[in-house]
Amino acid sequence: MATAAGDRLSDLFWRQPRVLLAVLLVPPLLWLGVVYIGSLAALLLQSFFSIDEFSGLIDYELTLKTYRELFRPANFDIILRTTLMAAAVTVASAVIAFPIAYYAARYAKGRMKAFFYLAVMLPLWSSYLVKVYAWKLILAKEGILTWAVDGIGASAILNAVLSIPVIGGNSLSVSYIGTFLVFLYVWLPFMILPVQAALERVPQNLIEASDDLGARRGQTMRYVILPMALPGFIAGSIFTFSLTLGDYIIPQIVGSSRNFIGQAVYAHQGTAGNIPLAAAFAVVPIVIMGFYLWMAKRQGAFDAL
Amino acid sequence: MTDAVAFDHVSRHFGSIRAVDDVSISIAEGSFFAMLGPSGSGKTTCLRLISGFERPTSGRVLIFGEDSGAVPPNRRPVNTVFQDYALFPHLDVRDNVAYGLMVRGEEKARRHAAAEEMLSLVKLDAFGDRKPGQLSGGQRQRVALARALVNRPKVLLLDEPLGALDLKLREAMQDELKALQRSLGITFVFVTHDQGEALSMADRVAVFNEGRIVQVGTPEEIYQRPRTRFVADFVGSANVLSPDICVRAGAGSGWASLRAEAVRLVPPGEGVVQGTVASRRYLGAVSRVHVDIGDAVIAADLAAGTPLPEPGATVGLTWDATALHRMEEA
Repeated sequence: MATAAGDRLSDLFWRQPRVLLAVLLVPPLLWLGVVYIGSLAALLLQSFFSIDEFSGLIDYELTLKTYRELFRPANFDIILRTTLMAAAVTVASAVIAFPIAYYAARYAKGRMKAFFYLAVMLPLWSSYLVKVYAWKLILAKEGILTWAVDGIGASAILNAVLSIPVIGGNSLSVSYIGTFLVFLYVWLPFMILPVQAALERVPQNLIEASDDLGARRGQTMRYVILPMALPGFIAGSIFTFSLTLGDYIIPQIVGSSRNFIGQAVYAHQGTAGNIPLAAAFAVVPIVIMGFYLWMAKRQGAFDAL
Repeated sequence: MTDAVAFDHVSRHFGSIRAVDDVSISIAEGSFFAMLGPSGSGKTTCLRLISGFERPTSGRVLIFGEDSGAVPPNRRPVNTVFQDYALFPHLDVRDNVAYGLMVRGEEKARRHAAAEEMLSLVKLDAFGDRKPGQLSGGQRQRVALARALVNRPKVLLLDEPLGALDLKLREAMQDELKALQRSLGITFVFVTHDQGEALSMADRVAVFNEGRIVQVGTPEEIYQRPRTRFVADFVGSANVLSPDICVRAGAGSGWASLRAEAVRLVPPGEGVVQGTVASRRYLGAVSRVHVDIGDAVIAADLAAGTPLPEPGATVGLTWDATALHRMEEA
């Protein structure tokens, strides 16, 4: 009996392929549509409300007043700081990820490849908080890094770095450099993996063809390998950029006490009780990412897909 | 005259596998040279030794008299049409063709003009703006050809260039390649496993087996006078006669080859050997009849219009003594 019913169901799916598609897609679409898109819409709506300065109550009249708030110097600094940090982290992870990904894609075989995946993924298996606190200890004034730098007699270099205005500080753990290093460490795997996957898809014979046509190694890299790996860099940069834009833990634990967007959202929706401003802050990364993707598309970054 | 390419006792081993084993050949300038053999016979490795993607384990590869041992692929005066064309998917057809000129520092207007000229030579004038993904197999093949030829190589290497095309296109491209080679005067070295292609296009053919060259010669020589059983088997529809049969046919001992079209059917009891018809196949201009003579099967091609014997019929077979070609080697 069960088989007969199974057969009938299977027959139905064969005759009406759309039914099967609907069965598969409706639950996730409901989830995405209602929970995800719905809450995004609610967020967007909130950002068009404002807060009454005397009573502290939310005024449910649609207005752009809250967005104007964002451009006040104190708030705009937060946006600028976060965007610059996200850009720096993205560029640095692309630079560091490329050689690693290139090695893994073109040279590593068998055991070395397994080791590569393990080494890249392993940090993702441990708690994010543990890693961040570990880094705080590593970067602290009494931490292992200062100790090691002293040990090799290079403390003059460290002090010189720390004395750079704005990004320096008392110690690495309370400077922008420290925040940058931790961001870079935490998000690097999200850059390495897509770049590696993209490089993996560059066929060996295209490299040979370039070689055959007279290109030097550097030219093959520039005209064939990098353009074909570009979608991987874009995918990776979407991760590193948006993850940095939205993070509110790392800058709180490691770095100068100045706020990032995530912290501003956290503070405004919590203690300050200014939900509209928190929502407006939360819209900023969405707008920046939208603009970034639009630019990437215009530059032809997805043509090789 | 110096040879365009010469192999001087070249071997290429991969671990214990001898992909190319003590090969010596010379390829004359301006010729159309085919390397023919089954897959794994070492012909593609030989091509890669010329292009520089493989380096000989021992021996020397000379290109226009110069030892190419220390010359990397990008500085050799040769270009390759790759088996699967290896077009750059992110560049349009024009930039694909102009690639070799670009990396040499040719300015944009001039390299694009040269690319357009080459594209019109391969009859793809209007396709410069397309991406390789928008082309058919035959068109991609032409782009690959144009991309190699635009660099004016002294030797053009073609690795199974027609393998991915359907029969009709393949025949058309054979004629075109041959005409192109004649008009440009460039040495073409061509790798194929298709004996028909090798025989119809090349001036000279080298037959490869297990990393060695078994025979080098003109298509006629290879076809009419195969040197070994392997060549007779691989190159075409020759019957290979064992020493036993040769003795029975009164042709002395030793292996011999016999073209199917030289075999004639005669009434039973007459002719050189007797047998029964095992099968017959209609091939258009001829019909092929397989006759079982006990310890071997002999193929005979009968011209259209000749009455065909029924399978199972007893027949005699005969041929002119001159049609029998004694092979040097088993």
